[in-house]
Amino acid sequence: MKIFAPALLALALAASPAIAAPEAPTTTTEAPRGDIVIANVNGLVCDFCAQSIRKLFGNEAAIADVAVDLDNGKVTLALKPGKAMDDAAIEKLIRRAGYSLVSIDRGAPK
Amino acid sequence: MAYRTLAAGLALAAFAAPADARPVSYAGGWTLMQDNNGDYSSVHVHYSPTATDSIGFYAERNQDLDIQFTGLQYNRLVRRWNAPASQGNLYVKAGAGAADPFGPEGATLGTFAGLAADWETRRVFFSYDVRGRDFGDRQSVAHAARAGFAPYLAEFGGLHTWAMLQVENHPGSDTPTRVTPLIRLFQGNLLVELGYTLEEDEALFNLAYRF
Repeated sequence: MKIFAPALLALALAASPAIAAPEAPTTTTEAPRGDIVIANVNGLVCDFCAQSIRKLFGNEAAIADVAVDLDNGKVTLALKPGKAMDDAAIEKLIRRAGYSLVSIDRGAPK
Repeated sequence: MAYRTLAAGLALAAFAAPADARPVSYAGGWTLMQDNNGDYSSVHVHYSPTATDSIGFYAERNQDLDIQFTGLQYNRLVRRWNAPASQGNLYVKAGAGAADPFGPEGATLGTFAGLAADWETRRVFFSYDVRGRDFGDRQSVAHAARAGFAPYLAEFGGLHTWAMLQVENHPGSDTPTRVTPLIRLFQGNLLVELGYTLEEDEALFNLAYRF
């Protein structure tokens, strides 16, 4: 315990900005958006674990914005204008994040 | 040594680090986990090549067994139950490396194995895990169960707070039953746990960070 205490404090301090200034639940909120896709997902109860969804979809070129609704088990994806993402690709990313896709709703462009 | 290691692995067939963050991340994710309690301090850095496996470095300075362990740990998500308002998980873990006793004795092969299970909703959390260590001539088994609740429901990205109670069993120990009230806080990719073990008069501090 005593051995790791300094490292522990350093890690806690280094990580503290994440608490003081939380990341917004969206990625590129200023970017123009195209179609909206809503994925209904099972197992979406833990914020710490659900960060994986934001990371994985945030790395996709077609995605402008990601929002996670823990209360209703929904992942809302805003696509970039002119970009598309098919259901199979969405399901694959949901699975890679550790969740189960129930259904996908596609809405109109904003 | 080989027989004892195998026997310990088969007999214990179940271990895990005292119930903090989950040991497998998303495919392609890295995680840093650090535990500190009255018995040991540990660091585990692992990479998840898939959503069901992770492997990484594990080091533990164990004041209870008077030994330092340094090696590799593998974690496997055996089963996940994703439901509309809950998630359950079953993990197995195993590790091997050098067990170096405090003092003049040389390092020997050390192994451990474990099993962990959890189930949670947005409001309640339950977990159980068991870990067995075979560090040369020093062995130990530890069970830990937790129950927790969230006093409020935070939005995604907000500060989440959980009040938890951890009850441990350490067969053969001078203090076989230990109770630790703790607070779990997480926001974004950082998770911190602060607790106090009543019987041992020791603080608990756990940290996990995903990147």
